[in-house]
Amino acid sequence: MDKMMCPHCGAAMNLHAEKLIEPNTPKEAEEADPELHALIEEFHACPQCGWCAARRAR
Amino acid sequence: MAGGRPLRIPIVLGTVRKGRASANVARFLLEQVRTRGITTELIDISSLPLPTDDAGEAIKDKVFSDTINVSDGLVIVTPEYNHSFPGMLKHVLDTNLQEYVHKAVGIAGVSAGPFGGTRVIENMLSPMRELGLVTIFFDVNFGNVLKLFDDSGYLLDSSFVKRTDKFLNELVWMATTLRYGRENISVR
Repeated sequence: MDKMMCPHCGAAMNLHAEKLIEPNTPKEAEEADPELHALIEEFHACPQCGWCAARRAR
Repeated sequence: MAGGRPLRIPIVLGTVRKGRASANVARFLLEQVRTRGITTELIDISSLPLPTDDAGEAIKDKVFSDTINVSDGLVIVTPEYNHSFPGMLKHVLDTNLQEYVHKAVGIAGVSAGPFGGTRVIENMLSPMRELGLVTIFFDVNFGNVLKLFDDSGYLLDSSFVKRTDKFLNELVWMATTLRYGRENISVR
């Protein structure tokens, strides 16, 4: 997995949580995990400055 | 202190109503947090410029969002209105998500009656969980709030200092533990 880099200080962030998001549009449905039928949102935290960020799982 | 940075725990004053007695509670809690060397500030939801013709992350306020992002936990001061929380408090809280995940929250209930917001606290637990916040198992209940403070906002019942101390002990423990987890333990 490619580490998310902190948009605040540039350090490598830690993936600490995931959440399933129900698709709201046909495009999101196409992008959804085929087994989970949902999008996966990742939540990352920076061990250097504490900044938190999220992104869709790739 | 955790991770070399002081803990940051703001106080959210969760009502916009005129004459709100919860403001005295929020100011009291702010001082209690501050005396521990924790970085804190008062977030008065009435000062947030959020529109009411949309909701959720679409109307996110950058200052509020950034403040929560760098925080390790929250204290929410909420009055009990008709057994539940103020609609404006929910409106504000719903504007963020990633900023809350795996952070500690302590709830201070406020009521004019004797129960000290026990019902509003119970009602708060479900949205807290969905927002990714981690509730602690210690609340503070400011019942009969109109008699608890004098006209200048001075607390008249000193037992609340000790109760609040226990509440903050639990909140700090949870915030410290969750910070370590967020920053060091991967979910996969």
